[in-house]
Amino acid sequence: MARTYNMNDDSVVVVIGSGAGGGTLSNELAQKGIDVVCLEAGSRLALTDIENDPGLMNGRMGWNDARMGTAVWLCKTVGGTTMRWSGITPRFQEHELKPRSTYGLLDDTTLIDWPLTLDELAPYYDKAEFKMGVSGTHDIPPSFETSMYKVLRAGGLKMGYKEITSARTAINPLARDGRPGCLQIGFCHSGCRIGAKWSTLYTEVPKAESTDHFELRTGAMVLKINHNDNGKVTGVVYSDEAGAVHEQKVRAVAIAGNVVETTRLLMNSASARHPDGLGNSSGQLGRNYMRHVTTGVYAVMPGEVNFHRGTRQSGLIMDEQYHQADRGFAGGYFIETGATDLQSLAGAIPGWGEEAAGHIEKYSQMASVFVSGEDPPQARNRITLHPSEKDQNGLAVPVIDYAMHPNSTLMQQHANIKSTELFESLGGSVVSKIEGIGYGCHNMGVARMSENPTDGVTNRWGQAHDIPNLFVSDGSLFTSSAAANPTLTIVALAIRQADHIAERMSRREL
Amino acid sequence: MSDSNITRRRFIVAAITFTGFASGVSMLRLSEAWAQSDADPGQDTLDGMIRVARLLYPHDSISDAVYAEVLDGILAATAIDASFADTLKTAEAALDGHQEEAFMDLDHDAQLAALRAVEGEGFFAAIQASVRFGLYGHPAVWQLIGYGGPSYQDGGYLHRGAGDIDWLPEAD
Repeated sequence: MARTYNMNDDSVVVVIGSGAGGGTLSNELAQKGIDVVCLEAGSRLALTDIENDPGLMNGRMGWNDARMGTAVWLCKTVGGTTMRWSGITPRFQEHELKPRSTYGLLDDTTLIDWPLTLDELAPYYDKAEFKMGVSGTHDIPPSFETSMYKVLRAGGLKMGYKEITSARTAINPLARDGRPGCLQIGFCHSGCRIGAKWSTLYTEVPKAESTDHFELRTGAMVLKINHNDNGKVTGVVYSDEAGAVHEQKVRAVAIAGNVVETTRLLMNSASARHPDGLGNSSGQLGRNYMRHVTTGVYAVMPGEVNFHRGTRQSGLIMDEQYHQADRGFAGGYFIETGATDLQSLAGAIPGWGEEAAGHIEKYSQMASVFVSGEDPPQARNRITLHPSEKDQNGLAVPVIDYAMHPNSTLMQQHANIKSTELFESLGGSVVSKIEGIGYGCHNMGVARMSENPTDGVTNRWGQAHDIPNLFVSDGSLFTSSAAANPTLTIVALAIRQADHIAERMSRREL
Repeated sequence: MSDSNITRRRFIVAAITFTGFASGVSMLRLSEAWAQSDADPGQDTLDGMIRVARLLYPHDSISDAVYAEVLDGILAATAIDASFADTLKTAEAALDGHQEEAFMDLDHDAQLAALRAVEGEGFFAAIQASVRFGLYGHPAVWQLIGYGGPSYQDGGYLHRGAGDIDWLPEAD
């Protein structure tokens, strides 16, 4: 089973984080025989620790350390946000990897094209979908049609939409890969009690452990990455569960802490040689922070839907994903089913008093959609370190500064109108929608890939422009957000990165 | 510790981590504080808060006993979070100070007006969030509203109505 490595063993690749990026990269490297130590700040839950209780589970697996600014909703647990995600996995479109060429330079954005094409990414999308068991791909059937999906489809057809599907979800419709088929339990955001939803907790991590090339250290909060005078990283300093500080020597480091923590760690690793943060000669670290254009629209329908009976996201409408300049904004979006528990629904209903309570009482008739759309990068949207506030580890607290771009506001308005029309076409009545920053939390862009080293932090492989043995392996890499929910692309990029690291190692370049 | 105390404590821990109304209070300190204290904020405060809860989220089909249980859990949080106790005191003073008569002596419409007069205050959002979280997290309320609650113990909804819907137009 899992082996252990000595702190002074400098032949290991240290992967920081065990979620979609870190868990996948760890397993892919270990499968190739490369020794990996994965440092995870959180603890390792068993399936029996997963309860259908959002508040309880946020305490058990949420990242609840001090933060300032725009709210984020992340996880500190083995599996990271793959424990909380909904499982929707659309691919990027070709033009979304060339947003600068397609949209032009929108005012007040920092749009650039990705340093890779869809042709290069497509084989890795195939591998990612197979790995994750995405419904409707690789001979896997589409997902079960929940009542909420049937509402989405019926309304979508009335609207004239053509691309409506219950496929493209990384939740097993049937037993596969040692995991059961979905039982439509609901509570996907609280972790999947039976492991039907793909999470690295019970896929990538145990598979890596079975290779004899992998060690997972939980409760390991990374404080700093050290480097030498030759410009290479040499060790990772972390605090263990008991608060003891260690340094694990390294051959290479890959960071996948989910955008906020990835930024914070690189900034907290500043040195005389890297005064603005490790790998930040461009000044781009922490900038170009993107979140996706999201909304949540709730409607009371003429009959019962009971959207709690099933997965949160059981299908999507793809017709609005394209770039159609005549809509008045650049990029596109997906309309996806939503569903939520009673407490969260009550929180989404505005106001108080008889009207609000009356809407909440109609819970069984409630229908909902979630939207994920392209959010252009802006220099002003960034993550920085607070100059004086420290957390329990003595680390500077991250400050998240995000404002919606006018393009994103226009897209959100369009999505709210379309979602309202969809529900009204079936006789429904909208009782809640989001106008402004949504509660979706798809973090992207703070160490973006760029052809030119002055435009971003990493190259086309996710390798830091400044430091050859330092990699970034999470959504921080995204050059632009595209419309698609990010996890599939994070996984595809991690598989691709593992191939690259292995190749460089075999050529003794790492 | 009795069953109801366990339920109560579980609610508070969940409410605090979920709503963040006591951010900064660590889980460790919570359990320690709970072990040391079972303070009762007083019947008057409880009665006043039940009235406030009913004005915030009125449901005819939900009994006062259910509102009382929810408020009991919220008030117990004051034993472990002094800032939340202050929040409640501020709210009580503001509501009582709205008119010459005390809040509890006002009629329904006047109570509603008193509450509306303070809805912009910081304490209002904290109290609204905790009432909402407690009320709609209560199994008796789930049953009345038609929400199923936890389902894994019953095998989910795959064979219990996950796809059932009978009023949609036929798909083409």
